[in-house]
Amino acid sequence: MIVARFPRRVDGTRWRRSDAGGGASRAAWAYVWLLALGISTPARGQSLPSEPLVFGGGRVTLSGDVSATVSCGGGDEAAPASCREDFGFFNYTDYEHSTLHMLRLDVSAALRATRRMSVLLDVRSENGSGPRAYGLYLRLRPWLSRNVDLQVGRVPPTFGAAGRRTYPADNLLIGYPLAYQYLTSLRPDALPANADELLRMRGRGWLSSFSIGDPDADNGLPITSGSRWDTGVQVHGKGAVVEGTAAVTTGSLGNPLVGDDNAGKQVAGRVALKPLAGLIVGASAARGPYLARAAVLAAPAAATEDRSFTQTAVGGDLEYSRDYYLLRMEAIVSDWTLPLADTPVIELPLRAVALSVEGRYKLRPALYVAGRFDHLAFSTVRGTNEVAAWDAPVSRTEVGIGYAIQRNLQLKLAVQHNRRDGGRVHRLSIGAAQLLFWF
Amino acid sequence: MKVEHSRRSPSAPGPWPTFLRELGARRGHLPLLLGAVGAAALVLVGPQVPARSAVIASAQPRAIRTGAIRGRVDLRHVVSPAERRPNVADLGAADERDRPDRLRSVVYLEAAPRGAFDQTEAANAVMDQRNETFVPHLLAVTTGTTVAFPNSDRIYHNVFSLSKARTFDLGRYAVGRSKSVRFDRPGIVRVFCDIHSHMSGFILVFNHPFFTITDTDGRYRIDQVPPGTYNVIAWNEGLASEPKPIVVPDGGIVELEFALR
Repeated sequence: MIVARFPRRVDGTRWRRSDAGGGASRAAWAYVWLLALGISTPARGQSLPSEPLVFGGGRVTLSGDVSATVSCGGGDEAAPASCREDFGFFNYTDYEHSTLHMLRLDVSAALRATRRMSVLLDVRSENGSGPRAYGLYLRLRPWLSRNVDLQVGRVPPTFGAAGRRTYPADNLLIGYPLAYQYLTSLRPDALPANADELLRMRGRGWLSSFSIGDPDADNGLPITSGSRWDTGVQVHGKGAVVEGTAAVTTGSLGNPLVGDDNAGKQVAGRVALKPLAGLIVGASAARGPYLARAAVLAAPAAATEDRSFTQTAVGGDLEYSRDYYLLRMEAIVSDWTLPLADTPVIELPLRAVALSVEGRYKLRPALYVAGRFDHLAFSTVRGTNEVAAWDAPVSRTEVGIGYAIQRNLQLKLAVQHNRRDGGRVHRLSIGAAQLLFWF
Repeated sequence: MKVEHSRRSPSAPGPWPTFLRELGARRGHLPLLLGAVGAAALVLVGPQVPARSAVIASAQPRAIRTGAIRGRVDLRHVVSPAERRPNVADLGAADERDRPDRLRSVVYLEAAPRGAFDQTEAANAVMDQRNETFVPHLLAVTTGTTVAFPNSDRIYHNVFSLSKARTFDLGRYAVGRSKSVRFDRPGIVRVFCDIHSHMSGFILVFNHPFFTITDTDGRYRIDQVPPGTYNVIAWNEGLASEPKPIVVPDGGIVELEFALR
């Protein structure tokens, strides 16, 4: 991975640009897309391709998603009206990428080598960056007569439900649920020395800095990442009513990785019940070390002896649909531990609670309305001068409509209102539009 | 799967009765007119039976013997096996499903003969949702037909179409339930499932009964075609041939082959 540092646009600090792609890779990516659009077999009832490309008698299947999202917003005095930036960083997945200012290209591929073995790939480009492998894994079915699959590689998230629905076509609205996107102030490579330091970063997860570990400011971690997948082994079994998944992976919920940075593994599991058509009830749990070894080594030895510093999360989700409506709920509780270096001591675990409720109703065949309410709450810590939540509680309400110009060409319009009890920007309202196409 | 319809005779009333009725109604002189015609006939040709028979025959609808068009549609393009989108974000492989039959085509008259638009009897058809596939994949119906979409799977389906000929959305419903849509406008209706993007089907709606669906080898036959000159079109999965002109003779069968590239 190439990591470069660039001057910060607004406040002079620096940002991290991951995987800075060269012009050649961008050109290649554009070529792949044009090729895909050019050779797609159109369903001739429509003017754009609508079905995946199939080669080799069905052995290779290729599909694509492209979405363009623009937004304008404004809030309190710290967030002047702008169509270029979300000054509150409410929708950023890292310091550079906002889900509301995004041109995203996805190409997914499935190569069926045998009836028991497939290779699956998802390559993505965001805002013109070079393509990255978002998912790349081998899927094995040891027994053809049983619904048991083994997946090895960069696998889809085991935990929760919304993490597997972050493709624009699967998302009812434009923004992501807060638990899967909003950046807390916790970092995997830097540590607060005490509670005061932690409280100073409340509401600044988009560019957090601490005194232990990496001194450069960088973005913090979401509760669980909706923009990256973890690497490891995953087992999935499915029956008529119940399905279960277990995985051992390299990173953690908030910081999925390809290469390990702490020699620890995350264990995650999920059980989903489908007692009747349209109803899914799921429960998930995950636990794994999230701090990079370099950050742990930078902490005082007495604070780190014989301890592992983990993110532990449990979650529940529910989906019910019938006729023209769809309702989803998800709740996640996540605890983090970290070395206690100095006083005032941080009370552990640091807890975050996320709640998300969303729904959709189809008004007409091509038109739906949708809404989502999100809230993130954090446990309190005691600093020298204050007792406060270790990160600023955030609420978001988003409502919108989706209009299908044709089946696989959709326009979404949404209005989002964010409130945060801390940080530079406390209130921000945003209007966003997204055009998405898939085949 | 062509829907069975009761076909009316496509023959229309001949010109003589219409002319006579109009003339008599306008002037109120129908008895006089008939008498004059009869007298003129006697004066000109005499009371000969053959001539009188000819007049009678042309004054009544002649029994027209319908013909047929048959042949084969050769699909020269690669017919895609209709795979799912790669389910990269799924935790396991999707269930096996049936593949839609995309080898069948529709052959139809571009313009129907006179009298073909008298179809008034409502017909019914079924497009099942079975094993994540619309069965049949292709329906051809006449306007006024009501198509039922039963769900035979244990999972939800949500049939919808955004086609100009008929836009509808039946919502999500479970196994054992069925919802129906009436198709009143001719055109091509592409049907999808909102939950399973790999499910699609076609319903071709005609305002005349002169169409048929081929078998999987492409063979077809359109019966009861009144004698005349027509343009015939073959259609497969959105790809239509150029119209081919043919003359259907009285009681004859015309062979017509298509190659769809």
